[in-house]
Amino acid sequence: MKTLLRGLMIFFVLGLWEAVRRFDLVGPLLLASPTEIVDAFVKSWFDYVIALRLTAIEIAVALALAWTLGIGAGTIAGLRPFLNATTGPLLSSLFAVPLISWYPLFMVWFGIGITSKIAYAVVSGFFPIAINTMNGIAAVDHQYFLLGRAIGCSRRQLIFGILLPMAMPSIVSGLRIGTALIVIGVIVAEMLGSFGGIGYLISYYRSIYATAHVYLGILVALIFALVANWLLSLLERRFTHWRVMQIQQ
Amino acid sequence: MSSVRQVVIEAHGLCKVYGINRAPIIALKDVSFTVEEGSFVSLVGPSGCGKSTLLQVLAGLVPSTTGEVLVDGAALRQPAPKKISVMFQDATLLPWKRVSENVEFPLEIHGMRPAERRQRAAEMLSLVGLADFADRYPHELSGGMRQRVSIARSLAPDPRIMLMDEPFGALDEQTRIKMGHELLRIWEKTRKTIFFITHSLTEALFLADIVLVMSHRPGQIVGTIRADLPRPRTYEIIGSAEFGIARNQIWKLISQDDGEVNSNGMASL
Repeated sequence: MKTLLRGLMIFFVLGLWEAVRRFDLVGPLLLASPTEIVDAFVKSWFDYVIALRLTAIEIAVALALAWTLGIGAGTIAGLRPFLNATTGPLLSSLFAVPLISWYPLFMVWFGIGITSKIAYAVVSGFFPIAINTMNGIAAVDHQYFLLGRAIGCSRRQLIFGILLPMAMPSIVSGLRIGTALIVIGVIVAEMLGSFGGIGYLISYYRSIYATAHVYLGILVALIFALVANWLLSLLERRFTHWRVMQIQQ
Repeated sequence: MSSVRQVVIEAHGLCKVYGINRAPIIALKDVSFTVEEGSFVSLVGPSGCGKSTLLQVLAGLVPSTTGEVLVDGAALRQPAPKKISVMFQDATLLPWKRVSENVEFPLEIHGMRPAERRQRAAEMLSLVGLADFADRYPHELSGGMRQRVSIARSLAPDPRIMLMDEPFGALDEQTRIKMGHELLRIWEKTRKTIFFITHSLTEALFLADIVLVMSHRPGQIVGTIRADLPRPRTYEIIGSAEFGIARNQIWKLISQDDGEVNSNGMASL
């Protein structure tokens, strides 16, 4: 019943959207109708596949780097109270600067190709992941450090067997923010200066007033956000289920 | 008779000073005592008197500034996970692991084979009366049950010594009394050497053979009380005259250097 209602709702919105364009209530420059968007896809789907692939590669590489570096650096910082106290505020304030203002510099440093997109996305995703990991590790009760040492854990066992899992709820929320910023970062960076990717297509079609393509680009970008979100909820369920149960109690 | 028993822990002139560069804080001052094999020793003292520091030194988790700890005659310089286990005020269970996996955890760290450690964990859980809860998660248990899991985990590596740092301090009084009985039952079965820290005079006396009394800063042991009360101990003992006399003795030792002696000895009970 719920799904049926939801389906009807979507159908209704699409119909309304189509009607608005058919009766020319809004100009073609501002809005493209669903059929126009489908048309745009049918005509140039191959361009989109190529762009999708490039953007996907950029996002995947940026994610792998930012997750690894962020969790790694956050763990190291979280284990050292001094580093934690000094870098915490610094990192937070660095993170508050609109990072996109740095992007022109990234283009100078890394060129117009794939490297500058990845570098920019890694930087934008790194901070929330590192900060959340650091806070998560630093919040683990001191008794757990003592327990780990008392039962004979090596440093590696202490970190991977006790501290990181304890910090997991905090880390996952950092990954959520970081991953969203990476998806946004890659697409925005492509829009600002590149020769490929979904962001590039959106920006290019906007400059030639092909509104239907701009909408199509936005829809494709949405796919990335949805896939990222889905992966993260899998991760959340796998690693922080105990936390959810604890809270529900 | 008890003098025949072998000494397991010897503390010789332990001092611990924190923050040497700035204003030094003396946490332990010339602490010496011995613990005999299989005995139940409790250490009682007010909060912040250095009890936990002493326990961490005895566990090899923190080095003493001067003095040394001998376990079975050998100097202890680092944790001895197979010989000494440590329990804390919080159960410190790993919340993503099931109860049985928590009990297995130290064994896993020591490299015991899965089948063997599963067997061992099951034995320990039935010893503490939680056999039916092996597959539960820690958050599904009450505070007292969690501490019982923690006891099972401490027992799992079959240590000779169990160090306990106010393990029942966070529990409500009824649960605390029950846990005391439970611990005595387990101790009588396993005959581990137990070193039990508490700030409750009653708990210290109820459980132990020997009560070490620690004073307020700087942490030093101001007296040793032999608790010659019959075993097995029952709750009624707490109301007995001998118990009251011994508790008053402890109270006098604790309060003498505070300047706030309360002759009826009831203030902190």
